Parts: sequence; C-alpha cells; structure tokens
Amino acid sequence: MTGIAADGDASLGIMMRDVIVRWAPLLVLAFLVLLFPVFEWLEDFRAGQDHVYLLDSRFFSIRNASRIAVAATPGLMVAIGVTFIIIMGSIDLSMEGTVSVTAVIFAFAFLALGGTLAGWAWLAIPLAMLVGAAMGMVNGLIHVVFRIPSFMVSLAMGFVGTGLALVLTGGDRIRVEDELFRALLTVRWLNFPIMCYVALLALLVAWFIQSRTTLGRNFYAVGGGEELAQASGLNVTRVRVLGFALAGIFFALGALMAVGRIGIAETATGNNFMFISITAVVVGGTALWGGIGGVLNTMVGVLIVYVITNGMVVIGLPNWLQDGVLGALVITAVVLSTNRRSISFVK
Amino acid sequence: MPDMTREFLKPHFPWITLVALTIIVGLANPDFLSISGLISLMADVVPLLIMALGMTFAIYIGGIDLSVQQLANMVTVMTTVYLAQYGIGVALLVILAGALFGAVSGFVTTRLYVPSFVSTLAIGFIALSIAKWLSDQRALFMDATLRDIHFGWMFDTTMGVPHELVLGLVLVLLAWFLQTRTSFGRALKAVGSGELAAVASGLDVDRVKILAFCISGMFAACAGLMFSVKLSGGDAQLANGFLLLAIVAVLVGGTPLTGGVGGVINTLIGTLIVMVIRAAMVYLEVDATQQQMVFGIVLIIAIALTIDRSKLRGVVK
Repeated sequence: MTGIAADGDASLGIMMRDVIVRWAPLLVLAFLVLLFPVFEWLEDFRAGQDHVYLLDSRFFSIRNASRIAVAATPGLMVAIGVTFIIIMGSIDLSMEGTVSVTAVIFAFAFLALGGTLAGWAWLAIPLAMLVGAAMGMVNGLIHVVFRIPSFMVSLAMGFVGTGLALVLTGGDRIRVEDELFRALLTVRWLNFPIMCYVALLALLVAWFIQSRTTLGRNFYAVGGGEELAQASGLNVTRVRVLGFALAGIFFALGALMAVGRIGIAETATGNNFMFISITAVVVGGTALWGGIGGVLNTMVGVLIVYVITNGMVVIGLPNWLQDGVLGALVITAVVLSTNRRSISFVK
Repeated sequence: MPDMTREFLKPHFPWITLVALTIIVGLANPDFLSISGLISLMADVVPLLIMALGMTFAIYIGGIDLSVQQLANMVTVMTTVYLAQYGIGVALLVILAGALFGAVSGFVTTRLYVPSFVSTLAIGFIALSIAKWLSDQRALFMDATLRDIHFGWMFDTTMGVPHELVLGLVLVLLAWFLQTRTSFGRALKAVGSGELAAVASGLDVDRVKILAFCISGMFAACAGLMFSVKLSGGDAQLANGFLLLAIVAVLVGGTPLTGGVGGVINTLIGTLIVMVIRAAMVYLEVDATQQQMVFGIVLIIAIALTIDRSKLRGVVK
C-alpha cells in the first residue's frame, strides 16, 4: 500500500476493490441462490398461481439444500486436495485415477475385513487414506526427482490410477452395503446427512493445515515465488512432495464420500472429478498461478458449481441447454471474482 | 564433453524415443513392422494427429485448449445434419464454426482474463450444448450415398497410400509453414517464450493468442469432420476420449506446457509415439484390463525421456 499520505482516496479505492474482489465468489453464490427462485416465481406467476418468492420455492428449501450438499461432498474433498497444489502454483490432474483406486481398494479391504464398521472393517478407512497419500507421494516424487512439470506427471498418473482400478476390479462393481457405513448418507442430523458434517470437519482440518501450520504457509511461499522461497532456505522439494501426498489423502476422502453416497466402488467412481474440482477451485477465486486463495474459497467455488447444476434441473432447463449455461455461468463467475489490476497476463 | 553431447542430442530425444520404441516393439513382434500394417495404423491415427496439431498452437503460447473434444463432437453432429443440404460445403461450414469457437475462447482468455484452462473448458460445454440440441441427443447416421459422393475420396488409396494419411500430412505441412515461415509463427514463439517481453516489444499479444486459439478450433473441426465421415455419423459423445490423448501427443512430442519450445513436427512425432505405444499393447498381447495402466507408466517414461528441461527456466511447476 504505497502513498497512503499522498492520496488517501486512491488507496481507499484500491482497498474497496480488494474487499469486493475478495468477497466476490460469495456474492456470486448469494446471487445464484436468489436467482433460481425468481424463475420458479415467474413460472407460477404466469400460470396465475399463488407463489411467495423464496418461501414457496422448491430450490430455496432445506430439502434441496441437503440435496446440493450431498452431491457436492465428494467433489469438495477432491477440490480441497487440489487447492493445496494450486496454491503452490502446480496442478494435479491425477484425481480421477486416485479416487478410483482408493475407492476400489477401500471396498475390497472393507469386505475382506468383515464388511461392517462394527468389526475390523473400519481399518479400510485409514488404509484408503494411506493409499491416497502414497499415490500422491509417488506423483510428487516423480515430479521433483525427474523434473517433469506436475501437469504431465499427474495426467499420466491419472491414467495409471484408472488403469490400476480397472486391473483390480476387472471391470466389476463392488457393492458396499454395510448399514453403518451407509449411515453417512442415510442418517440425518438437522436434515443433513452425516457425510455433510464429516465433510465440514475435513474442511476445518484443511483450513487449519492451510493457515495454522508451517506446511500450509510454505505452500503459499512456494506459490508466491519459488526461487525466493528456495533462497530463504525452504526445502521446496519436500514441501512439494508433502503437498501432493496431502492432496492424495483428500482425494481418498473424496472416494470414501463417493462410495458412501452411491454404495458402489468401481473404475468409473473417479469420473468427472478432474474438471469439476479445478473449475470449482478457480471459480472460488484461487488463482491458477499460485499464492492466492485457499480452501474456504474452494468451498464457495464448489457450492457455486453445484448450485448452478442443481438450480438448472429444479427450474426445468432443457437437458441439452444445461452444459452450455454451466459454461457461460462459470466464465461469468471467474470474470466477476478476478482482480484484473493484479494480473499482468493470463495463460 | 558428455554435457555437450547431451546438449546436442536434446532436441532429438523425441524422434530417438520413437525409433527406439518402434525397434523394440518390432523385435518383440516382427509383424508390427509390416509396411501395410504401419500405414493402416497411421491412417487410423490421423484424426488424433489433426486435433493434436491444433492443440500445439494453444500450448505453444503457454495456454491450453480443453474445448477441442467438444468442438469435434459438435462438428460430427453438424456434418451429419447439414451434409444433405450443403454437400462438400459442409466442410467450410464446420471449419468456420471451429474458428469462431476458438476465437471466442481466445477472446475470453485474453480480454476477460479467464485462464485458458477454464475458458476453453467452458466454451467446450457450450459446444456440447449445441451438439446435443442439433442431434436431439441421439446418435445420427449419414446417408451412405451422399457421404460417398462428397467425401468418398478421403478414404480411397493411391498406390497403397490412403488419402486420409495424405490429408493429415498436408495439414502438418500447413501447420509447419504457419509456425516457421510466417510472421505470425514468429509472433507465436515470442509470446510463448516470454509474454512480458513480447508485450514490451510492441507485439499485439492478444491478437496472436486469439489467432492461436482460432487455429486450434479449426484443426479440431477438421478432426471432427474426418471422424464423422469415417464413422459415417455424428453424436454428441463421438469424439470423447480424444482430448487427453491429444494433450499427451503434444507433450510427449516435446512441446512443454511452458510454451515457446517444440512445435508441430514434435507433435507429429508425439502422435506417432502414442500410436506405437497403443499398438504395441495389442501386438505384445497386453491384457485389455491392464492396457490403460501400462499406457500411463510408459507415458511417464516417455515424457521423462523426451522433455527438454533446459527450457523450463529453473522452475518446474
């Protein structure tokens, strides 16, 4: 903040803009939440039915909020994982493979250990997280040891992951029907399934790692300027490998949530996570070039993406139109939450 | 001295990798090296090659184009729907559509400051919507007679060489000419190797980037057109699976994501490497369920071998 004394008005202006940009993702989310009920109101208005805006909305209801939350939970876990990597200025595209592998290994271990959380099968949960961490670590090690950009390593590792899941399952679906495990979805506290609270807890842990630990601060140091971080004595290699391992753990959590939601683990469990998670991270205001943003931004970004998807279905937008509208809205959301003055160029 | 050898060899790693791979597979199964077999393999890979050529321009300037697969999907539907109406003119129509979508991606990236990773993905979704709308979300089939009248020439052969292969090579030459023999090509290199320096030296960087995405879109449209004629139909999911392969082909060829290095010849080699790896798994009888995993592992090795690390400017993101 230069020239505070010289021109107070200008710096106030800059501060204002910073504040707006900072909160832009949340404003976009609020706008969307208020937007979809308008369409419902319009429809009933044209049909001549009574409709009180928001109160009579099917979209703006606890039941729908819980539906959005359940749909968003696995994606949120994956997006949190990749947030750490993006803060470092790298990227991780291996999530689809990692999610599939951890989901499949979890399901196999779960069934082999008795098939119920009441017995030893709970061990499958830490096992899945360990597998996720190991896959992330391999990712990170290849990235730093062979000096291959993370984009390429993780893309190829994604193929390996999906392939490994296919080898393990032979193309079969594995059902996890334990009632205790499925309670993640079936038991509700205050209208929301347990998995939403687990996700919230994971978000808190991620936020703690990001803002209250050395590792978290090191992610920002690496993302803000790798040479500088290296020069000031930071072991960048170690931070990177740990970052990828941490991301792997969150991908595994995403896999657990996905299995908990559908009750099935298969090679296709990981499908679609790549684009959704990275879109969500960017829409939330975390910059792809690193150093800016965080897991709370990602939470908002994930909600924006899933609110759009859900809202379009609720207001009855034709199926063929939904992809295009999602694309247009994503561009709009990113445009609104980008601080143009702070970027010199965009790749 | 070994350092100098390494320096000298570096740009040649991609094609050395290709030749080595071909020899290894050929030794393991001599059937692989039959001329007619290789030619038909190459003819099959032409749509992927064309898509990867376009992608090269987007990656060369340090961006990426994730819309190519959806553009190709849309084009397969457009070709099928409008073939009866416009005949061979449909080719012009779809290429214009590809250019338009690419230009919009470029515009959104440069003028609205949306990273190309997100802008092209989003534009791809819009193309998908159009494909679904035009096709009514069904798989469409071409009228066989019309197809043969207008595009039958594409699959004839002259002296054993399929015309689609010739077409692919013509497009490689065109892309190579654009990249190396025009001022636009030099501007591309300037933008890719250092955007700030390019801006400082007065280059209209935005225009160059928009053009690069435009070209990427046109090539994606060509790939979609060929795909559609080849499979005699169109569908909003027909080209799915091509996006990651196209990116892989560019990267394995030695054009890193940082831009400014590599180019269309590298992509030609990269596509051939991808082709050899995939074909090898069939020739070496790798179990179908294991193919994707093996592909991933070989890919990591191939990238580790081909990538030119000196141009990554110290930072490996």
